[in-house]
Amino acid sequence: MSLLNVSDLHASVITDDQTQPILKGLNLTVEAGEVHAIMGPNGSGKSTLANVVSGRPGYQVDNGAATLEGSPLLELEPYERAQLGVFLAFQYPVEIPGVSNMEFLKASIDSLARARGEEQPNTAQFMRQVRELASSLDLDPAFLKRGVNEGFSGGEKKRNEIMQLLLLDPKLAVLDETDSGLDIDALKVVAEGVNRYRSASNGVVLITHYQRLLDYIVPDFVHVLSNGQIIESGDKSLALELEAKGYAWLT
Amino acid sequence: MADLTLPAELATPDWLAPTPNAAQTPLPEALHRALNSAAHRERWKYTKAEVFLGATHTAANLPQISGEQQPGIDLQQTTKPVPLVGFDLDQAPEAFARLCYASNILTIDISAPTTEILTLVHASSTVPVLIRVAEGASLTLNEISDCDSDAQQTIWIDLAANAEMKHSRNALDTAGAHWQYLNVRLQRDASYRLHNHVTGCASRRQDIHVLMDGQGAEANLISAGSVEGKTALDQQFTLEHRQPRGRSQQTIHNIVANGGKCSFNGRIHIHAGAAGTDAQLANRNLGMGEHATINTKPELEIYTDDVSCAHGATVGTISQEALFYLLSRGIDQGAAQALLSQGFLRQCIDGPLAESALETLIGGASVGL
Ligand SMILES: Nc1ncnc2c1ncn2[C@@H]1O[C@H](COP(=O)(O)OP(=O)(O)OP(=O)(O)O)[C@@H](O)[C@H]1O
Ligand SMILES: [Mg+2]
Repeated sequence: MSLLNVSDLHASVITDDQTQPILKGLNLTVEAGEVHAIMGPNGSGKSTLANVVSGRPGYQVDNGAATLEGSPLLELEPYERAQLGVFLAFQYPVEIPGVSNMEFLKASIDSLARARGEEQPNTAQFMRQVRELASSLDLDPAFLKRGVNEGFSGGEKKRNEIMQLLLLDPKLAVLDETDSGLDIDALKVVAEGVNRYRSASNGVVLITHYQRLLDYIVPDFVHVLSNGQIIESGDKSLALELEAKGYAWLT
Repeated sequence: MADLTLPAELATPDWLAPTPNAAQTPLPEALHRALNSAAHRERWKYTKAEVFLGATHTAANLPQISGEQQPGIDLQQTTKPVPLVGFDLDQAPEAFARLCYASNILTIDISAPTTEILTLVHASSTVPVLIRVAEGASLTLNEISDCDSDAQQTIWIDLAANAEMKHSRNALDTAGAHWQYLNVRLQRDASYRLHNHVTGCASRRQDIHVLMDGQGAEANLISAGSVEGKTALDQQFTLEHRQPRGRSQQTIHNIVANGGKCSFNGRIHIHAGAAGTDAQLANRNLGMGEHATINTKPELEIYTDDVSCAHGATVGTISQEALFYLLSRGIDQGAAQALLSQGFLRQCIDGPLAESALETLIGGASVGL
């Protein structure tokens, strides 16, 4: 059974006065142990795919299905999807003043444990683990006391997403432009984090505009998403070709 | 609305005679006029004034006091304190009436920097309190209201040049009709910081009047309120900049839920000549559940150029963006909403009374996290 299976997905974005179709019959299969890079022009529907899979409000599924290890996802509440093992690293992580990072992470790890019938981790141990993870991603552990993403730089927010990825250890990681806004050192730190996460039992969908990231996180497949469909798939050499030629030759 | 009236005739004590507007006109008339001015009636728009006015002459006890046994503090019960400078009868006629009705007054003089916290606990209506902090002296004051029926407390604070005060106040009790009046006057370079933590009760009214009466004074008012179920809170804050280069910052967060009723009126008045003033006020209200009533009104009067002033009032619900972020991490709807509303209040909970405020307002401090 595939880790993620998206078949003939049609989805629209709901705006104030209308619904606008964005995904127009998208198919994608990710097996455990694989990394799939998704590239494509601005506005082609990459974030929409990530959002529909994770259940962000504001979208409507018109047709098709998405399953995680065979369980249908699209009918579930966002937190139920997360409890099944879906993780979205946000393109724009949200600031939440007044809720400390540590408190947020504890609430998350406790909910996941509860949903899976596992024991909630001991607080002291948990805090040590989080601090170690923060340091390993060059995040000052003092940040953990601050509000969630509050006053974080763009790069710090992205590293915080990766810290959560490593802590929560989901089955499927959907990373939406986690590389954008990172300097070269931070890019390496983030890529190293994703590589640390990778295992034979999980999978990664990596949305990016830049081939450079794929030098560090080597994908098994590269897909081009254009106008709501995957129009080309290949191995990592496709990314190099796109880097050289752009998207025009495909459409 | 009928005329607002006081419960009994009263005479001006000598020590109050020099107060502006008490001097020129016979007192009952001056008070009646002040109570029924258009501006003042507006301040009572959302709360029935009668029960509060009627209680201004009820007997009052001393608050329970601790921390007064330290060098630099002198407590007196007196009928003849020194005049109140800067206090204007028109601004708070009911507070003025309470001074007149009071058989005596508690004065607390701070003559040196103090190290221990002075604590006042009000278990009922308490006598008017006058706190004077001398030049260069400092005080940390904790004030706790612990009433279960109607009660009134009035406090005047006068900070001399370079005096410093940190004031924490918890009004988390289940009083009936509860009124707290607070008047703070800051002289040159004085600083004042208030952490106000409050719940709704049958009818809770907080009047706060801050006078920036010396150059370079600095005031910080931070307030967190939770108005849940059939309770009400009415906060009337006035901050006057009367001298140059004062800085004031007010941050008021209130959660109103399930039938609660919350009114906030924040008036900033920058007088002519108060150049270089920096005055900021942010009132944010979060409505939750069914039937929350929120009235918030910013009022700005500025009679000087060269000021920096920001005044914002928002009424909203939980941010959907923030909610989705928490949900996407596996936190269920109820827990995520609770985290967000707690976070909203926690931003305004601090100081030495924070722990019990966290306990009551958001059900615990999540220690260490
Ligand atoms: N909440 C929204 N409201 C209105 N339009 C939206 C919304 N979300 C997405 N869209 C529209 O849907 C289309 C696809 O957007 P999407 O964010 O999926 O693109 P993308 O491929 O991620 O682009 P980028 O590379 O710029 O991140 C765009 O035309 C966008 O304007
Ligand atoms: Mg995008």
